[in-house]
Amino acid sequence: MIEAVIINGLVSAGVYALLATGFSLIFGAARIINLAHTAFYMLAAYLIFTLATTLGLNLWLSIVLGVAAVTFLGVLTYRFIIARVRIHDTTTLIVTIAITIIIQEVLLIAYGGHFRSVPAMVAGYTELLGVRVTYQSLLTLGVVLAVMLGIWLILMKTRLGTGIRSTAQDREVANLMGINVPRIEMITMGLAVALAALAGALVAPLFSLEPHMWTHPLVMVLAVVILGGLGSIKGSLMGAVILAFSETLVVFYAPAGAYLKGAMALTIMLLVILLRPQGLFGVSFEEER
Amino acid sequence: MDLIKRAITCLLVVCLLATPVLACGGETQSETKEIRIGVIGPTFYVQGQHHRYGAEMAAEEINKAGGISIGEDTYRIKLFFANSNELLSVTDAANAMERLISVNRVSFVMGGIRTEAVQAMQDIAMDNKVIFLGSGAAAVELCTRVTENYDRYKYWFRVAPVNSDHLGHVSFQMLGMVAAAVAQKTGNTPRVAIFAEQAVWTDPIVAAAQANIPLMDMEVAGTWRVSATATDVTSELTAIRNAGANVIFTALSGPVGRHYVQKWGELEIPAASVGINVEAQDAGLKALPTKGNYETTLNMYARVNLTEKTIPFYDTFVDRFGEPPTYNAGTYEAMYVLKEAIERAGTLDPDSVVEEIEKTDRISPAGRITFDDSHDIVWSPGYVTTVGIQWLDGEMHCVWPPADGSWEDVSYEGVVPYKLPPWM
Amino acid sequence: MIGLLGSYLRRPYKELKGEVLVLPSRTIVVVFCLALLLLPLLTSDSYTLRIFILAGIFAILAASWDLLSGYTGQMNLGHALFFGVAGYTSALLNTNAGLHPGLSIPIGSIAAVVAGLIVGIPCLRLRGPYLALATLAFPLILTGVIFAVPGITGGELGISGLSVLTGSRVGDYYLIMVLALVLGFVMWKICNSKTGLIFHALREDEVAVRASGINTTRYKLLAFCLSGLFAGVAGGLYVHFMRIASPSSLELMLSFQVIIWAVFGGIATIYGPMAGAFVLVPLTEYLRNMPPPVDEMRMLIIAAIILLVLLFMPEGLVSRLRDRMEKVCPRCKIRNIASRHECRICHTALD
Repeated sequence: MIEAVIINGLVSAGVYALLATGFSLIFGAARIINLAHTAFYMLAAYLIFTLATTLGLNLWLSIVLGVAAVTFLGVLTYRFIIARVRIHDTTTLIVTIAITIIIQEVLLIAYGGHFRSVPAMVAGYTELLGVRVTYQSLLTLGVVLAVMLGIWLILMKTRLGTGIRSTAQDREVANLMGINVPRIEMITMGLAVALAALAGALVAPLFSLEPHMWTHPLVMVLAVVILGGLGSIKGSLMGAVILAFSETLVVFYAPAGAYLKGAMALTIMLLVILLRPQGLFGVSFEEER
Repeated sequence: MDLIKRAITCLLVVCLLATPVLACGGETQSETKEIRIGVIGPTFYVQGQHHRYGAEMAAEEINKAGGISIGEDTYRIKLFFANSNELLSVTDAANAMERLISVNRVSFVMGGIRTEAVQAMQDIAMDNKVIFLGSGAAAVELCTRVTENYDRYKYWFRVAPVNSDHLGHVSFQMLGMVAAAVAQKTGNTPRVAIFAEQAVWTDPIVAAAQANIPLMDMEVAGTWRVSATATDVTSELTAIRNAGANVIFTALSGPVGRHYVQKWGELEIPAASVGINVEAQDAGLKALPTKGNYETTLNMYARVNLTEKTIPFYDTFVDRFGEPPTYNAGTYEAMYVLKEAIERAGTLDPDSVVEEIEKTDRISPAGRITFDDSHDIVWSPGYVTTVGIQWLDGEMHCVWPPADGSWEDVSYEGVVPYKLPPWM
Repeated sequence: MIGLLGSYLRRPYKELKGEVLVLPSRTIVVVFCLALLLLPLLTSDSYTLRIFILAGIFAILAASWDLLSGYTGQMNLGHALFFGVAGYTSALLNTNAGLHPGLSIPIGSIAAVVAGLIVGIPCLRLRGPYLALATLAFPLILTGVIFAVPGITGGELGISGLSVLTGSRVGDYYLIMVLALVLGFVMWKICNSKTGLIFHALREDEVAVRASGINTTRYKLLAFCLSGLFAGVAGGLYVHFMRIASPSSLELMLSFQVIIWAVFGGIATIYGPMAGAFVLVPLTEYLRNMPPPVDEMRMLIIAAIILLVLLFMPEGLVSRLRDRMEKVCPRCKIRNIASRHECRICHTALD
């Protein structure tokens, strides 16, 4: 049983972590709570569905095109919408909700409420320690690890990463040090949306698509980043692992309460942040005024 | 920039001022004699579309055949479609119902799917003494209201589907059939995993399953209660496989049903799946990479001769809309029930029409339709029995009641034998 | 006789002229309230009245969110919790104990106050986005609980068969409109009192408030409780009006919608969120009455309008309009109509 918990837990942790990293990144750099994050994820999945299934393009090409298009759209959204209202915190929140509703309604009108499916990149399944896992899940997990490593390298080893980290730490000082803060923020937004789109690409074959598929991941992403600490990549990873494992544990050890797995994960998140109000690895807001 | 601001402001002011006008915006009564019938459902979803398809098909047929005759006069049916948006907002659903009744001035309404929304819509229809023919929500409670407060709730009838108790009963019959196939193939005692939504309608089914499965010479491998809106059930399926189950008994109505079929097929979980899975009644299941193969569920319609009307109805529906009817297309039948009741009553007066609907006894594509004291459609051999269907290569095949008539001597032409998944 | 009547009317008339008609915002409020109260005389159409009844209920809800989040800055992304708790409590008391709505709604609101405390106490430790995102979890957890005890809550069926409020649509309309206007006024008064000032200060600089010797914890909890109380009234009215309490009253989208109404109107004003609900709720319904395909695009249109309005008026529609119509006198801080050149009180030049 324990190996099943570990394998299933890891697979779902991967998707949460990928989505949470992007969300956390843009929060860290620009202090923006982008509730449209999972809407971009959904948009990418639909775009890939359209390119690959309706237009019959090669799946990999569709993925590249889909991720690129959504990333571009995300940057435009940031530049022309979010950046204009970001000094008003609540307004930014509502604007991102409005963007989410727009994306949802456009998809609903264009595709209806029907479920859509995308073929797996690699079909079939294998057994690991006696637990069946689809190749698509393994691929997702692999890509997630690679992407997380890549993000970590960008943040730690490149000039851009230094820029992002210093903006995250102190916007004003970063500006004084000659960092082009608006540009950094736009790049970060692009990176964040690209991560969401990539998650959409990977997840599209795992689950069926429908125009409200953003809600559940959004709640989980919020729980993950809060648990791990906003703005922390390490935190997102840890948060994702903790929540995914608590969900999996509920299913395996309390099957009659499997419907409570989401509520259980949220409760654990609440308990943790009551003990650590800044999350596991988050920046403390005490001194931020 | 300033211009845009001003334009937006103006637009909003105009909209606000125009709002009270909406009261007077109701359509004027036209000269030709017509009966106004509302169809309410979530129009962006399969459920709402089938409400619409069924009603449209019946209304066109009736109008073409001369309409509804009341005494000397003949009336044409005029349909009004309302998007209840009920899957997302109960408030919206209630508003849509009120609008149909008060603005479109419909005399009859049909449709509805989500129980909590249907209850809210029911109250509005009853307040206005508008006959509401439900074709979507299976909860028993909707009809117990009729027996508890007949004078208020008598305007409600359920035309489709049969209520959840009967759905449970049929799914047990199907479970028996599948378990026998499993026992024969594997030589083992069937071990049944109960996989049900956490919902009031599944509670009696789950309780009955836990009590009766051991009496049917089977074992219970465990009970998994998932959320109707869960998106990932990989862990549940892994746990079911680990529990050594070789049959999965489902009671699912929400989107989780589709995710379940996908993962069940992809991971080739070695357990036959049977029961109620509303998502698997929808033609969209064939779009899954696994084409939904071998999933078996109860259904309202199948292309077999439930009655002599079934296959013509089924084929016309498929020709016209490109997919087989789901139980929401029961609006088709509701329209005919209504037509006949109005003609017998010879008036549009709701109380008289209710009396006549109560006396309904007609052969429909789903079976012989009659209503019981709670205004619920009667389920019984010889009446509406529902069927079991199995997905094979993107098509639904009727597998229950078995062709040999072993269930209550009921057998329909066109039933094929149930096939175990090859990965068992 | 006429002279006597005239002398009685003179004072209110002078008040009206001197205090209300001088400011467009006050005039609009008075005209709006009168229009709301007179609407049933113009139309008895139950659909129109229904929409405005719902707008009234949601206006209370939006204003109660503003009291907490707009004023104190304690961002609450799970406001549906109060609405749902009060709704379920009222429904249970009404159906099981047979309590009259006149009792079940107040008791339901008290339950929402308790919910406010339960959420408020742990959330005292949390700040900024952590608080916002933690509050989001509460209604979702409660939904899980509701499904776990269907014997009490009715699971997905909810609790149906509640008593009606007054039994007639016009009666319901007046009850809810009067309540909405009165409660709105009460909230506005609270927010313009000393307590309201402290709420506002909490948002601007919590440390400074604490340094002034004010028990910030107490005031934050007070805001949570007051907000819960008013949201609870809205929740109780809603379930009695719809005659069903169901899990949909706890959904994420409702919490989001509350914030949309509030921010659209303009936060930290009370009247802004109420106006937001009174504009957006009927507008959404209005679009449903448009010819196809506009009717099916109503959510899209509404979202686009919200986006555009907030893009050009990030402080909210009503706040912006008020600032355009009125100027504050730099000396005595009294509001004046924008067309005046000097302050109506102290005659300081305005520009």
